[in-house]
Amino acid sequence: MREAVRLQQEDFSQDGEIAALRASSKRMGGIATFIGCARDFSEGREVTQISFDAYGSMAVAEMNKLRDEAIAKFGLLDARIVHRVGVVGAGDQIVFIAAGAEHRAPALQACQWLIDELKQRVPIWKKEITPQGDAWVTPHP
Amino acid sequence: MIKVLFFGPVAERVGNSEVSVAFSAGMRLQDLRAQLQALHPAAFEIVCFAAVDGEHAQDMSLPLAEHSEVVFMSKFSGG
Repeated sequence: MREAVRLQQEDFSQDGEIAALRASSKRMGGIATFIGCARDFSEGREVTQISFDAYGSMAVAEMNKLRDEAIAKFGLLDARIVHRVGVVGAGDQIVFIAAGAEHRAPALQACQWLIDELKQRVPIWKKEITPQGDAWVTPHP
Repeated sequence: MIKVLFFGPVAERVGNSEVSVAFSAGMRLQDLRAQLQALHPAAFEIVCFAAVDGEHAQDMSLPLAEHSEVVFMSKFSGG
């Protein structure tokens, strides 16, 4: 089974990740997932691709800390975080988060918390590639 | 030597993803930042965070060591 927290260039399978999550416990009554995708339009411009740069070793370490914190904070049975790096096309998947708990409320809350914290704490940067040129993305508050 | 890494928009403004800086006794994170900021002012306009040996470093008076790995980073935009 692949690691629960990963940075990778290749696409991921939502079904595969959920199957791995479910395999960790039969007590899981609720699974919440989030998939972030590359939009083809941003700031009034067409976007054809997004390029991701990451401080890989620290990004994986921070994602593992986030997973551990989420499991403790929300009483999860398991959680998985996968983020792509390199170049992804418009419409492609970027990030996958899954949180599994005995009940739905902690799973949903943890999933939201994980993506919000990831954006704040994990050293990854995106550059939008457009017909008019490339531009690094300034984060939304 | 201290290994300094740059990523994303900061690397683009520096024109490099890695530089080496000579370590001197008593050197602190703020000293390294000042030294590099003088060389790359445009890059440091967007620097918001630093990391030392893979850990977020909020205290700029943190002492550095020979062979430290330091990263100066802009706001993250993953996800």
